[in-house]
Amino acid sequence: MSGGLRERLERLRAQAAAAKAADEAYIAQAKAETAAEEREGAAAQALARPGAAGLDAASSTGEAAAVAVAREAEKEKAQSELHPSFARLGVEQADNEFGSFLLRRLAYPLASRHGLYELRELLDYAPWLEPVASRQNKGADDLSGLPIEAGRLLFLDTETTGLGVGAGNVPFMIGIGYVEPAEGKLYVEQTLIRHPGEEKAMLHYLLGRMANRTHLVTYNGRSFDWPVLAGRYILNGWRRKGPEPGHLDFLHPSRALWRNTLESCRLSRIEQDRLGIAREEDVPGSLAPELYVKFLSDGDAAHLEGVYLHNERDVLTLVTLATHFGALLAGSGRLGLGEEAAGDGIPEAAEELFRTAAWLDAHGRTDRSERLFEALAARQDEAASRWWLKTALRYKKLGRFEAAVPLWLRAADRAEKAAFPSYEAHVELAMFYEHRAKNASEALRFAERALELALRRPVSAREQARIREEREGLRHRVERLRRKSRGSRT
Amino acid sequence: MNPWTGKAATVEEWLDLLRGHPEIMANVTHWHTQPAKPARTVPMPAGMNGKLAEALASKGIRELYTHQAASYRAVREGKNVVTVTPTASGKTLCYNLPVLEHLLADDSVRALYLFPTKALAQDQVAELQELANLMEADIKTHTYDGDTPPTVRQAIRNAGHIIVTNPDMLHSAILPHHTKWVKLFENVKYIVIDELHAYRGVFGSHVANVIRRLKRICRFYGSNPQFLCASATIRNPREHAERLLGEPVELVDDNGAPSGEKHLVFYNPPVVNQQLGIRKSSVLESQKLAGLLLKSGIQTIVFARSRVRVEILLTYLQDLVKRELGTKSIRGYRGGYLPKQRREIERGLRSGEIRGVVSTNALELGIDIGQLQACVLNGYPGSIASTWQQSGRAGRRHGSSVTFLVASSNPLDQYLIQNPDYFLGTPPEEARIHPDNLLILLDHVKCAAYELPFEEGDTFGGEKLSDLLEFLAEEKVLHRAGDRWYWMEQAFPAHNVSLRSAAQENFVIIDMTEGHKVIGEVDRFGAPTLIHEEAIYIHEGVQYQVEKLDYPEKKAYVRQVNVDYFTDASLAVELKVLHADRETTSGPIVRQYGEVSVTAKPTIFKKIRLRTHENIGSGPIHLPEEELHTSAYWFSFAEEAEAGMNANDMQMALLGLANVLIHLAPLHLMCDPFDIRVVPQVKSTHAKKPTIYFYDRYPGGIGLSQRLYEMHDELLEEAERLIVGCGCLSGCPACVGPIEEVGLLGKELSLGLLRRTRGTA
Repeated sequence: MSGGLRERLERLRAQAAAAKAADEAYIAQAKAETAAEEREGAAAQALARPGAAGLDAASSTGEAAAVAVAREAEKEKAQSELHPSFARLGVEQADNEFGSFLLRRLAYPLASRHGLYELRELLDYAPWLEPVASRQNKGADDLSGLPIEAGRLLFLDTETTGLGVGAGNVPFMIGIGYVEPAEGKLYVEQTLIRHPGEEKAMLHYLLGRMANRTHLVTYNGRSFDWPVLAGRYILNGWRRKGPEPGHLDFLHPSRALWRNTLESCRLSRIEQDRLGIAREEDVPGSLAPELYVKFLSDGDAAHLEGVYLHNERDVLTLVTLATHFGALLAGSGRLGLGEEAAGDGIPEAAEELFRTAAWLDAHGRTDRSERLFEALAARQDEAASRWWLKTALRYKKLGRFEAAVPLWLRAADRAEKAAFPSYEAHVELAMFYEHRAKNASEALRFAERALELALRRPVSAREQARIREEREGLRHRVERLRRKSRGSRT
Repeated sequence: MNPWTGKAATVEEWLDLLRGHPEIMANVTHWHTQPAKPARTVPMPAGMNGKLAEALASKGIRELYTHQAASYRAVREGKNVVTVTPTASGKTLCYNLPVLEHLLADDSVRALYLFPTKALAQDQVAELQELANLMEADIKTHTYDGDTPPTVRQAIRNAGHIIVTNPDMLHSAILPHHTKWVKLFENVKYIVIDELHAYRGVFGSHVANVIRRLKRICRFYGSNPQFLCASATIRNPREHAERLLGEPVELVDDNGAPSGEKHLVFYNPPVVNQQLGIRKSSVLESQKLAGLLLKSGIQTIVFARSRVRVEILLTYLQDLVKRELGTKSIRGYRGGYLPKQRREIERGLRSGEIRGVVSTNALELGIDIGQLQACVLNGYPGSIASTWQQSGRAGRRHGSSVTFLVASSNPLDQYLIQNPDYFLGTPPEEARIHPDNLLILLDHVKCAAYELPFEEGDTFGGEKLSDLLEFLAEEKVLHRAGDRWYWMEQAFPAHNVSLRSAAQENFVIIDMTEGHKVIGEVDRFGAPTLIHEEAIYIHEGVQYQVEKLDYPEKKAYVRQVNVDYFTDASLAVELKVLHADRETTSGPIVRQYGEVSVTAKPTIFKKIRLRTHENIGSGPIHLPEEELHTSAYWFSFAEEAEAGMNANDMQMALLGLANVLIHLAPLHLMCDPFDIRVVPQVKSTHAKKPTIYFYDRYPGGIGLSQRLYEMHDELLEEAERLIVGCGCLSGCPACVGPIEEVGLLGKELSLGLLRRTRGTA
């Protein structure tokens, strides 16, 4: 390269850092504005359908065929030239009309176990995932009512060169998993591109695997893996025809259950704490981009061994996770680890117990959630008591006051003793006695008690307006009930 | 005049009254009257879509102004167009007309509108929506910016016909995610860029690169959009548009909009101290004039150069007229006000409910506030173009309007107020950009590579692209595979590139004497010498001591004090010439253009007793050194020009000359005064001769000093005229600088040197 330019660049770079520092405030703002770009994926609901995601190959097949013939001759040579690390991992070169890439293919007998479940259990539990699928694919008419079959799921996890879903983030490895029930096997396949020029061939291969499969099973794939891949198809000149693939993204259900009871909702954390999988010598996924860049610069495939193993485990864990949620919906999930939990299938942490039950409710499995709510209601410990009100609210919505009232009474009793008293239970009871039980004096008793607690409760500046309003409301209620009970006496 | 209310019925009547006030007229240095101009219109073009013509007719538009018709024609012929007409001449129709007509005929067409600010974008959407509703057409216009809620973004990307956004958003959100915008990029036929003149200097150089990226993405999706631009009056609209877009552009500047009679009054506050050349405060004089106007019921806009001045003027004026009008009828307007508040003020101005507004140049851009009757400029806005733009806020299509230009004591203001012919006879400034500034270019090559791999043979800007790509590959930012370069970093490059320079950022001065009160601001470059810790900062005649300077947060905490000294900081500036690219010798002067390295570090400050000026103490300043590599222009004097002056006299002569030139330069460059700096050296490290250097205050340079190099002769001529024309005795802030700085002979020495150099002695 020309010396002059180089010299100028070197000089300029020294001060670029200084100029950048000054721009940081502005940049921070710009980031805040565009961060929404990244977040919105989670908000987007309009995702749809399965199957042979209709793509329109842009390149002419004749030309491609000619290239393919020439490639065939080179193939053997290429295979023998692969780095020994690739050979050790069982990686081979794969070719199609768009070029070549590397492929690693592994077969697991369905009888093998990964964590709490044997792989074959997926066959039993997959159909139970239907409510999850219909929630995640709202508006996709061709997916609705479609049964979930283990053999028509494609488990997917990508490793990319960067973060975010921008056009410059390249998935260099795509890990997929699929079950062939007739063969009694789960196949895990991992594609790798030796340089970005091989991407098109790799993407074409993925299309073939997506054909005839209804849903992508992922962890955050709805807002990350799939949008990144969709962008890559466009960048490579393909236009999607027809609807989007269906999703079974287990990030959302995992958060619904474990958002506060686990240290994080990272897949590795869930594996270890809830699925009984221990990873040894795992290369964290966050290091993958760096390792790939190393591989690009020196061609040493040894850098990638850890990435291959990590990605393989991720795909397997997706299978276990799908099985687990299916089992939950089927009413036979193993809800915790260790003997005591596995025994009755009831989560130990009160919050997780409540969240699991509520999640089952939300997926139309009120029959399955009932036992969990009962267990929660039966527990007397401090942690459980915080969920009584919410549990009672659920009973109220179902019109089951016989179950709600005892919970309210207990919650009210506990509130009386608290330093920072809540009066929600009292209000509920006042409403119940007034409108349902038609017992004005009982209603008045609770309303008066609620008002007393409301007045006693210390108020933070933030809550001031709301609390004042609530106190006002309570005063009205008390007055009305006083009038009522006077009326009923006279 | 209504004898009962004291209100003037018309601006003419008010001006007649004003002419009868000798104490005001004494300060008027020039009164320029621009006669009224009738409208020039042509019938609606034949073949114009009937629905569109009907909608326009229902808004009272039955004919087109000549410039609207001309741009309509040019767009229909497939050309890129830049329309240059003054404020309120119906220029939005110039681009909306062809865009809407095409959309009515073909629902798949897309258009992208770019405005420099979010507020302008919102105005535009309202206007387009109104027209669409009138036509009962399903044309979806949406803003897409940082305020757009994530939940509706996807719908906008897929279904919006017209996307209205800003360059920053295009740069950091749309282009890097272009695969989400397939619909737009495959079908975009028009790219509308309004307020084209705003894209100049560093910001403009960045935007030119964003447009290069935009065009690259459009090509990828097989579209080749037309550019429809509008600009306020600048000297080189066509050249500027062509540089910004990198394509030929047709100029439309035949303004057919009518205008009423306009008065431009040059007003110089009276001198209160002859020896020091100190004039009465321009703030007080502006306030007086605006007060007179407002009390007479004339709707007035006051422009001030800083946010703080806006607030000061606002308080004065609200106080002055609160009994007649009530404080709500006079409002402030500046960056930092909430969007909702701004909309409310704009509405109030249009309806006439708000009678007066004090604004920074935030209202200079095309935000719709209707047309006011009078305008008071507190200080020269910095460029001829801005002055016309701001004064254009007053001026109705019928009836007279008046603009007062109230000069401050700053040399530039004084030059203009004393040379009205210069102002009136000079076309507005050029807008200059330098998109190939290596740092800016490199940043955008990175962003572009992220968006789409580069291929052998691609071009991007003026530098050899393959060199840049190779450089980035060596840096492991890109990865070369075959004849392509791929982005290979984890980072998202657009997040580390800001289009708007930090130079506009100010340090806020917070008075902690009683609670926390913001009393003023100092620009970033002044901060090291003005508000370092222990500095005495004087504001409105009151002394404050700086107790703490929070450099990263850009805040200075001060407390009121009463001491008998002021502080003077020394800034050690070292300037090294790296290499000279061009050289010209004319008479005793050698002038050169090239690259320099500048390091500046505040070193110590001195405490100097008031009146006696004795040094009564000093202290160190601990602030980081700033280093800058940039382009520069400099000229050295040969011995014959020195004419036996001793080193000390030469020092004063150079300093005085530098002071004059640095005030003139921004005038000709249409740049912010802080974009260009000057350094005089009695014996330059480079040529061992007396030398004056000018350098661009941006890494790598943005083409300003190159332009100065080209207009060197003109610049010196102006300098001589300014020094000769200044009424002061022996130097004042309005010419070579105060005597405290250049000595008693400063003016004479500078003028002598200048004349010997120019051969006019």
